[in-house]
Amino acid sequence: MLSIMGILVIVTVIIAIDVPPLWRKKLKKELWAFSILLLFGTVLGLAQALKLKIPNPLDWVIAVYKPLSDMVDIWLK
Amino acid sequence: MPENGKISIRQFTILVMLVTIGDSILILPSISSSFAKQDTWISGIIGLLVGLIAVYIFSALGNLYPKLTLIQAIQKILGKWFGTLVAALFLLFPLITIVTFTREMGDFITTEMMAETPTLAIQILFTCIVIFAVRLGLEVFARTGEIFLPCIILLFLLLVIFLIPQAEFEKLLPILENGIKPVIHGSFSFIAYPFLELVVFLMIFPYINQVRLIRKGFLQGALLGGLVLIILVVISILVLGADETARTIYPSYSLARRISIGLFFERVEAMVALLWMLTIFMKSTFYFYVFNLGLAQLLKLKGYRMLTLPTGFLIIVLSPIISPNITYYNNLLAEYLPYYDVTCYLLFPVFLLVIHFIKNRFKSSPDT
Repeated sequence: MLSIMGILVIVTVIIAIDVPPLWRKKLKKELWAFSILLLFGTVLGLAQALKLKIPNPLDWVIAVYKPLSDMVDIWLK
Repeated sequence: MPENGKISIRQFTILVMLVTIGDSILILPSISSSFAKQDTWISGIIGLLVGLIAVYIFSALGNLYPKLTLIQAIQKILGKWFGTLVAALFLLFPLITIVTFTREMGDFITTEMMAETPTLAIQILFTCIVIFAVRLGLEVFARTGEIFLPCIILLFLLLVIFLIPQAEFEKLLPILENGIKPVIHGSFSFIAYPFLELVVFLMIFPYINQVRLIRKGFLQGALLGGLVLIILVVISILVLGADETARTIYPSYSLARRISIGLFFERVEAMVALLWMLTIFMKSTFYFYVFNLGLAQLLKLKGYRMLTLPTGFLIIVLSPIISPNITYYNNLLAEYLPYYDVTCYLLFPVFLLVIHFIKNRFKSSPDT
């Protein structure tokens, strides 16, 4: 619960710092980019706080390069 | 234009040097010597030579479009739609790389210096400084590099000179005990981490004052940084020996611990640790800057500063996902990430160069 609160507080602070100047200058596209990035971060953070299992992108990197790495290991023994 | 600053060629060279040293100074000796043992210095020399060739290729790509950043050049070379897609994919590389840097910083401080502090706390503090630096702009952190450089050189000389009394040259023998193959294997990480990751400098080519001198500055910076890394590897093998260098996660920190002059100049490791904290800071800042600038250019935004806080938040959130524990991460660094770096940072620019030349040939052939 505490970590969820923490994440929400941080998100509020980030919004309070960056959104008002963008809003005043009416920069719509910038606001969209900002909100999507922040939303993505918040969702990931909340998922972690709730201890959900999130796939690790580096596992995919390992899966892709495992054959090559094994081959090089044998070859350069 | 999201960035209005200009940096001089001197600042550029210093930035290249600091980014080359970057996090490699902390993790590279251990990874490389786990393959090449006492011959890691040969791996280092191979790495430096291949790395300089790679840097030459990068500058060749950069010189084709000196007025465009890498993201814009990709869009120009590959056409609007496909180029945008590829550029978006390319931006994932710096993102993953910065996440690994924050992870390394947190892991280093929690395993070696502040064992009871949560890793997350250190990562948050570190990312805050990085965000702060990036929001101030390219000119400011290029100058920061200029200011830090004497400090970094002084600390490095301190580390090397105070360890010379403990160096034992027999530890370098026997040379090429198991043939050349393990040495080549060890050189992979030596090529990938310091040199191939320099490809992101293509993002700031338009913001450098003297276009003609870029290639020279790029090569000089990479050479100086590479020499620092080779000296570090040599000294860690001379003092710690090949086995201990490979076994410890952070050999440079173990080296700093060994400094002991006449029983009164001791326990200076925290001071020397400032050396790689500064270089990792410069590297992360630069990568973070490149990521934000690239994203802003990709989406054609008016500036990149409003993106820094959300992306910083994203990085902190991603870092525990990306490496569940330090063993996983070190295995990844030793076995898989070099190949990933080769694909993203070397084959990709070469691919762009080839496409560029094919396109030009088709374009110019009707005229002749």
